[in-house]
This record gives sequence, structure tokens and C-alpha cells, in this order.
Amino acid sequence: MKRTFTRRELLRLMMVGGGAAVLAACGGQSGQSTSQQTTAPAVVSQPGSKVKITYWGSFSGNLGEAEQAMVKAFNESQNEVEVEYQFQGNYEETAQKFTAALQANTTPDVILLSDVWWFGFYLAGAITALDDLARQVNLDFNDYEPVLLNEGVRKGVHYWIPFARSTPLFYYNKSIWAEAGLPDRAPETWAEFSEWAPKLVKSDGSRAAFGHPNGASYIAWLFQGVVWQFGGQYSLPDFTMTMTDPNTLRAAQFYQDTVLKEKWAVLSPNLNQDFIGGAIASMMASTGALAGIQANATFPVGVGFLPRETNFGCPTGGAGLAIVSRAPAEKQLAAMKYIAFATNPTSAGVWARSTGYMPVRISTKQTPEMIEFFKQNPNFKTAVDQLPKTRAQDAARVFVRNGDQIIGKGLERIIVNGEAPSSVFADVNNELTKAAQPILQDLKAVEG
Amino acid sequence: MATYTPRQERHPNTLRREHRESLLFALFIGPNLLLFAVFTYWPLLYNIYLSMVRWDFLRPTMTFVGLQNYIDAFSDRRFWNIIWQTATFTICSVGLTLILGLLLALLLNQPLRYRNTARAIVFSPVVMSGAVIAVVWSYIFDPRYGLIDQLLGFIGLDSPNWLADPFWAMPAVIIVYVWKNLGYAVVIYLAGLQNIPRELYDAARVDGAGTWERFWNVTLPGLSPVAFFLSVTSVLTCFQAFDIIRVLTNGGPADATTTLIFHLYELGFVSYDAGKAGVVAIVLFLIMLFLTIVQIRYIERQVTYG
Repeated sequence: MKRTFTRRELLRLMMVGGGAAVLAACGGQSGQSTSQQTTAPAVVSQPGSKVKITYWGSFSGNLGEAEQAMVKAFNESQNEVEVEYQFQGNYEETAQKFTAALQANTTPDVILLSDVWWFGFYLAGAITALDDLARQVNLDFNDYEPVLLNEGVRKGVHYWIPFARSTPLFYYNKSIWAEAGLPDRAPETWAEFSEWAPKLVKSDGSRAAFGHPNGASYIAWLFQGVVWQFGGQYSLPDFTMTMTDPNTLRAAQFYQDTVLKEKWAVLSPNLNQDFIGGAIASMMASTGALAGIQANATFPVGVGFLPRETNFGCPTGGAGLAIVSRAPAEKQLAAMKYIAFATNPTSAGVWARSTGYMPVRISTKQTPEMIEFFKQNPNFKTAVDQLPKTRAQDAARVFVRNGDQIIGKGLERIIVNGEAPSSVFADVNNELTKAAQPILQDLKAVEG
Repeated sequence: MATYTPRQERHPNTLRREHRESLLFALFIGPNLLLFAVFTYWPLLYNIYLSMVRWDFLRPTMTFVGLQNYIDAFSDRRFWNIIWQTATFTICSVGLTLILGLLLALLLNQPLRYRNTARAIVFSPVVMSGAVIAVVWSYIFDPRYGLIDQLLGFIGLDSPNWLADPFWAMPAVIIVYVWKNLGYAVVIYLAGLQNIPRELYDAARVDGAGTWERFWNVTLPGLSPVAFFLSVTSVLTCFQAFDIIRVLTNGGPADATTTLIFHLYELGFVSYDAGKAGVVAIVLFLIMLFLTIVQIRYIERQVTYG
């Protein structure tokens, strides 16, 4: 016969359950005042044993496979450190989870942070200075591409090591180009492209000459280059916002016209898919998408430098690696060993060849594998050739919390809703100025 | 033999029993109350505090700013726009779910062949994950190769660019939500239909009532408690609708499908503005509280219970 619970027993069980829930809830509250801690805590394990560290990354698809292959290669290359790779979603989601982890005190040891995220965590003291650790593993900063490395330096100290770094490229569909009788190259100027564009459009609306990504897919990153090309900028280095600068507005007007007036461009939520599917003939997109696009496109893919207007302008982008302040000293050192491995001249080459991201080491370009690879795949070389002409982005996008999305949403209003650039960017200017206030305060507190 | 006990001086046994019963009562509700306190009441109170600070989830200290976050929110055109969109979304979704659900339930209440199969199919979207549904629908809505484009093609129409056009994005989200939640409404309506006594129909028929009159005077009043229940739960679900919006449109294009709950997510977990997110949470809470009170107070009065 089945035994049934008595009421008393049931109550007791419920009390235990309720108590456990309370305990669980209390556990989450403990991390509230700890994010400023920057000193490295004590050693965690016996000398000679293997140090296990957790690595949070953001790549999926072919990029994710390449990232995991890197971790595997590292784990097999030595016996001291074992990296456990944990995929956390895209750049934004990784940053969200890291923020939550800081509160809950469940942080990883090494983390991939995008261009717009590392700075906020630096200000909060959540990521640590790397120079001492680099010395301990004999890492030579001089061999890193300076334009990429210097972005992660504050007051002469390294915090963010370039890993999956990119620039935008101009991608075009060579078949459509040939069909339209255009020369096999990217347009040199936007004026030239405006002449070409009508020949690339299909009149039934099934194909546009060019595609813009939406705000969530970082239109503000690509527009950064265009703003510079038009002689404007998002902000000055002292965080003065310049969204209403006449040249910035001129660039925005150009973006609006491509979609609403001349109607040869569209704004697409799935830009890469549209390009692969032939719904758009060209686009600007990250070098990091190159390997994936070439693998999936059924037509020959062409790439070139970004078009000029009054100037050439091209931002760097992508993500780098940082070490978490709160990790114990031994784990920090282990994390540095992984970073040194993942960005050494050989690994940087493997990573660049399998993804399209740029080799972050200067000497990688001279390795025989890379020279041979560039010969076979000239498209991959374009990004590397463009690199010396790139520069770090304006503070408004990368240093202001959510600046990227504030500008991106403004551009959506201009392109999708057809609102006047001057009034939209006046709003954006205000919003950015407001959002910059706490950053400026923190900056003063941290850097003096 | 019964002993007489005066009312005023209770027998010690009775006292002890009353004491024990109230203790038992406390024990019974205790665990639940504790869970509510930890996961509902405390977050609610803490959120009221958060709505009055400036904090980015990262800084060690919060800056108290009083009502400034509320002033900022209420003076923001975007905020009112989002409230308006939330209202549009809720009214359209709930209205369509209730009306289409009723029609489908009436149909599936007929003695048709394969009726149970049809009921299962209608209900199946309810148990599917919102994110999966959103991914599938993003293909269906594609203006070049999507299913809707193909169907419209048969009657010579071009598909709108559903998800990239600010005018069509909200209708697209509403369509998906209604499609997902319709099955639930149908099942509840069906239960309601089966609860209406047959005698009422027989009596109506004897009185010479036609199909329409029977529907209007018997079915509809009989269904009103169910419809009331559905309206309350649907409104509450709509206000919390997040998954499909997040995956299908991410609140865009240009904010066109940003509802209050999505705005709350954006402020909290994209902009990392705990204070402003707190304000939106409070506003959302007050709106839902208000709607629930109104629904219970005024609509329930007109509901006929069997």
C-alpha cells in the first residue's frame, strides 16, 4: 500500500523548501559593493597542478568553431593551464552576463569584450592591468599592430588586447557587377557609386544596389566611417558631441537619400543573408564576415576599400581579450598565458585565415603561410592593406555607455521614418551628452 | 453526558485548539508568503528604490536623484510614444484573440470530422517556444521568398516589407501573437460552450428563437464569464509579451515595435540604466494594477455567471 504524507510532514517539507529559496535569494545579494576591487587575490592551488580557467566568448557559427579550435590548440599545447570555453551570446549579451556576474560574484577569468564594452568595465575596475602579467609571460607588445593595441591602453597601461579585430570593407557581388557592365572593383567615391547604383537595382524591387544594417547590427559602426568621409565626426576627444556638425548632418542626409530619395539602398535586419541571397548587390560589412560570406555565396565575392567622399575614413572594430580583476592571481597569470597564445604570430595567422579578422601581430604578415594565403585569397589581403589607413572610433560610440545604440536608433529614425537629420541628430546629441556625464565623472575618479 | 460551559470563559482545550489552528494557518500560508515576499514583494519595494537612483549596475555606489528619473521619463516624447504603441499592441492583440478565438471555438464545437485533430492543431502554437515561433515567422514574413509573399502573389499583390517597414512591423508582431495565443482562447471558450446547459437552447428553440437569436441570447451571455477571464489574462500576457518581439523585430525598426516591457529590457540591460528601467517597471506595474481593478470592478458586474 502506498504511504501518504501526513499534513505535518508536508508542512515540514514546505518549510525546508521555503528556507532554501530564501538562502538562494540571499546568495545573490552579496556582490553589491565589490566591483572596485583591483588587487589580485591569493593563489588558489598547489604549485605544479593544472590551473583551470573560464573563458567567456561571443562567437557562433564558423567564428565559434574557429574560437573553440583556438582553445583546443592551447589546451593541447601545454600542461599547466586548461581553458574552459563558454559561449555567452553576442557581444551585447556577453557584456550583460558579465555585468550580472559581477553582481553575483560568478565571474569568468578571461573575457572577450567588444570595442564598445571594454571601456565601461575598465572604468568599473572590473578588468585588470595587464603589463605585469605580460612581463611574466614574456609578451612583446611591440609586435602588435599599434593602431589596434593602443585602443586598449589607458594612461600607458594595457587593459584590452586585440584579438578579433576588424575594419569595415566594401563587399560587392561580382556577378551582378559584370551583368551591369561595371569595372571589377569597389567604387572609389560615393559619387561614383551613386552613378553605378541605378544599374544594379532591379526595377521590380527584388534587388537593391546597397544595403544598410539596422541599429542592432551596428549601423553606427559603419556610419562612423562615412561620417569621417564626409568630414564630420560623432564627438571630439573631450566628449563634446558633434552630431549636429554640418558635415555629420550631410552624411546622414546622404544615408537617407540612398534609401528614400534615390531608392537604391535598403535597410535590412539580415544584411549578410541578403547579400548572400542576391537581394542586395553590395554592402559595407566587417572583415570578420568574409570567410563566412565567401563560403556561403554562390557568386564570386569582391571586396575593396571603403569609398571616399571628401576624405577617406575607416574605423577599426571588433573585440579584444581582457582579464577579470577579481580572478585569483594564479588564474590571471593562466589567462595571460592563453591571451599570449591566442595572439601569438602563428595563432593570429590561423585565426585570420579561418575568419577574415585581421592578423593582430605585425610579424604574422611575413609568415610563409600568410604570404601564400594572401596570394590564394587576395580578398583577405584587402583588409590588411586598409589597416594603416584606419583609426580608432569617436568617444561617442565606444566610450559612452550605449552610444552605439543611441546613434543607431537615430539613424533608423532618419532612414526608416524619413525624419529630418537635423532634428533627429539634435535629439541624439542631447542623449549622448547626458549619457556621457556619468562616464566623465568616472573617468575623473579613475584617471584623475 | 454534556457539560455546560459558559461562552465567556472558554475551555482551556478550545483555547489551545484555536491557538493551534492559527499557528497551523500561519504554517500553511507561511512558505508561500515567504516565496512571495522574496520573489515578488521585496523586488517590488527594491524597484521603487531603484527608480529613484542613478546606477549602472557596475558602480559600487548608487546616486539618489529623487523623482528626477520620473521627470525625465514623463517629459520624453519617446516614452509616451512607447505607451501608445503598447496600448495599440494590447488592444489589437486581445481584441483579435477574443473574437477569432470565439469564432474558431464555435466552429470546433460543431460535430465535425477530425474535430479533435483540428483542436490539437489550433492549440499547438500555445506550447511552442516564442523564440522559435519568431524565427519561423521571420521567414514567413520575408518580402522576397516568404510564404505570405507567395500567397499574396496568387492574387497579384506584393508583400509589404513586414519587419523593415515601421508601418507594417507592429501588425506583423500582432499577427504572430494572436496566432500563438489563439489556441488557448479556443480551448477556454470550448470549455465555456460545453458548460452552457442544453435546456437553455431547447427552451429558446421552443420559444421560436433562430440561430442568431440563440447565439445572442444564450451562447454569448453564457460565455461571458469565460470571455471575462480571457480578457484579464490576455491583457496581462500582452503587457508582458517579450520573447517574440525580441527575436522578430528587436523593438525596431526605429522603435516601431517597442512596447513598455521591451523598453524596460532595453533601459535595464542594454543601456544599463537601473533608475530609468525602474521607472518603467513601476509604470507598467501601476497600469496592470489599474486595469485589473477596472476589469474586476466594472466588467465583472456585467458578467452572467451560471
